[in-house]
Amino acid sequence: MRFWEIGKRNLKELYRDPVALAFLLGMPLVFILIFSFAFGGQATRPLSIGIVDEDQSQISTAFVNCLESIPALEVAPPIYHSQSQAEEELDTGELSIYLLIPRGFGEAVEHRQAIDLELAYNEADPMLPQRAVPVIRAVALEFLNIPIPLNIELRETEVEIKDEYINYLIPGMAVFGLMILIPSVGGIMVRDRAKGFLSRLMTTPARPSDFIFGYSLPFVPVIVVSVAIYLGVGVLMGLSIIGNLGLAFLILFIIGICCLGIGMLLGTLAKSEEQASGAPWIFIIPIVMISGAWWPVEQMPSVIRSIADALPFLHAMDATRSIITLGTGLEAITNDLLYLVGWTVVIFALGVILFRRSMRS
Amino acid sequence: MNGDFAIQTFNLTKTFNGLVAVDGIDLNIKKGELFALLGPNGAGKTTTINMLCCLLKPTSGTAQIMGYDINRQPFKIKEIIGVSPQETAISERLNPQENLNLIGELHGMNPRELKSRSQQLLETMGLADRAKDQVRKFSGGMKRRLSIMMALVHNPEILFLDEPTLGLDPQARRVMWEYIARLKEDKTILLTTHYMDEADFLADRISIIDEGKIVALGTSAELKTSMLEKHTMIISVQNLTQQVIKEMRARYAEVEITNGTMTISAQKLDFKEIVDLLHTSGATVRSAYIKEPTLEDVFLHITGKELRE
Ligand SMILES: Nc1ncnc2c1ncn2[C@@H]1O[C@H](COP(=O)(O)OP(=O)(O)OP(=O)(O)O)[C@@H](O)[C@H]1O
Ligand SMILES: [Mg+2]
Repeated sequence: MRFWEIGKRNLKELYRDPVALAFLLGMPLVFILIFSFAFGGQATRPLSIGIVDEDQSQISTAFVNCLESIPALEVAPPIYHSQSQAEEELDTGELSIYLLIPRGFGEAVEHRQAIDLELAYNEADPMLPQRAVPVIRAVALEFLNIPIPLNIELRETEVEIKDEYINYLIPGMAVFGLMILIPSVGGIMVRDRAKGFLSRLMTTPARPSDFIFGYSLPFVPVIVVSVAIYLGVGVLMGLSIIGNLGLAFLILFIIGICCLGIGMLLGTLAKSEEQASGAPWIFIIPIVMISGAWWPVEQMPSVIRSIADALPFLHAMDATRSIITLGTGLEAITNDLLYLVGWTVVIFALGVILFRRSMRS
Repeated sequence: MNGDFAIQTFNLTKTFNGLVAVDGIDLNIKKGELFALLGPNGAGKTTTINMLCCLLKPTSGTAQIMGYDINRQPFKIKEIIGVSPQETAISERLNPQENLNLIGELHGMNPRELKSRSQQLLETMGLADRAKDQVRKFSGGMKRRLSIMMALVHNPEILFLDEPTLGLDPQARRVMWEYIARLKEDKTILLTTHYMDEADFLADRISIIDEGKIVALGTSAELKTSMLEKHTMIISVQNLTQQVIKEMRARYAEVEITNGTMTISAQKLDFKEIVDLLHTSGATVRSAYIKEPTLEDVFLHITGKELRE
């Protein structure tokens, strides 16, 4: 249990340093707040609206084209033909609002009769109809050219996913947030090496694995707290959790441990604290970009996609998303889970091997 | 391997990118011996210790500690050694008790024994009343004392002390010397120092190391007598005449006079003859003594360099 003795010492060394601790625990909070506000804000995006064209007449098609040409609206493809499809999208959060053009729309226009439209929207965002109704009214007025009584019926729908983008964003941000621990976690080891304390410990019978696990130990609680912060703030920001929260927690915890292992590798190899805290950014930022933390990566070149796919981070994001948003169970994400565990084991094993080498130069 | 030896080195060599830090050292240190490596800055003392405690891999050659090979059985060796590094190496946010516990526990000591031993060490080194304070608030000397205690807490058979009294005040230094002297017999101690008096006071045998090579080896007395065939007499004298100075210069190899002090060096000196000669010339001799050779002189003699204090 020598790793425990080293770990105990490192726990004390970290938790008796309030500044370092505040930094480690404050970082995820600041991080998630900044990114949620920067990317999660509805107002920055044009109103995305789905359309159900039950009428499918020439007139209704022309009306849809007219709606599509308006910059204030972003008509989400495809144009549905039946309400049930749109209803499903609304329920899973793919859509937050849709417009129903009912059967008889074309005829009503031709005969200058009163027109009925229906707007169904996600109850989580009561502001949506207020933004949508004036726009649709204006478009209809222009389209019809002469005033015809236009009746827009609003229908609030209770849905499972309140904000699809937040549900996309939070798992990505959580994984990114855990990755930014990488530059910090090697710090104690690097400092001990510079001060000769690590050499002193190396003259005791402690083994390479005792060092790697002993220096990792104090950061395990940090990871648990960070994951809790990401999910907790996520819920406050409107994250809807459909699947098993514990399972999502587990996936994020494992990718956190994997990041910890990468930090240990860097701590083992780094010659100075600057190296250990600076070097990781060279790969963290690109990896986050290609792993789809902010936007889906399907349209990226296949080479980049396969790199992202080989690394564990995308798997962690995807698995967490599918648990949280789709309610996927353990069986469906077993492969991702094993992949993450595999990476983690390999990284720690590599850490132990490299540390063993560093023990006798 | 001879069973009487605790530490043996065989052509132990370390080079750093072409710089030969330790150059083919052969040492045989007996069990229970206190052996001092004496040498100036950069002589290769620390490098030698680091190889012996398995932190550095020798470029060539090897060494055995209690029969274990440093290249093949490092973890066996780590179980039986205690090392006090040259630089103070302690954990800043731990208190002295916790620092000692860490090392003791890593050596698998049982808690009761560890407790009594660390208590005893803290008292000996005068840190018992600060045992619960974080050491980052300690003075340099206090940290230094703790750092050395950490080498002793698990009661190791073999002790490596790299400049143990560096940065201690004369009083603490004296306490440390006495403590180390008491450890003799019980343990084998390899100590490095560039203080002559330290080696003189503590060591059973001294090895002088310079530029990575052992240039002299023996007890303090052996080194002094064998290396110096020259004796020096120092006389405080007044009313010297040119006549007597001339006579002295004729008899002895080196005669120097500065501010009423006459220094005479030669292979053979006759104390009585010199004093009588001065008296008859009418000079007043206030004091006169034969100066014993010091390790400093030995070192100067062998290497042509001064040891830096
Ligand atoms: N890690 C290293 N890399 C390169 N050169 C080194 C290294 N360690 C020591 N040296 C060199 O090896 C030589 C011996 O150094 P060492 O530290 O063993 O001397 P020392 O006798 O302990 O000196 P001091 O009294 O100053 O502690 C020096 O020239 C030093 O510059
Ligand atoms: Mg040294």
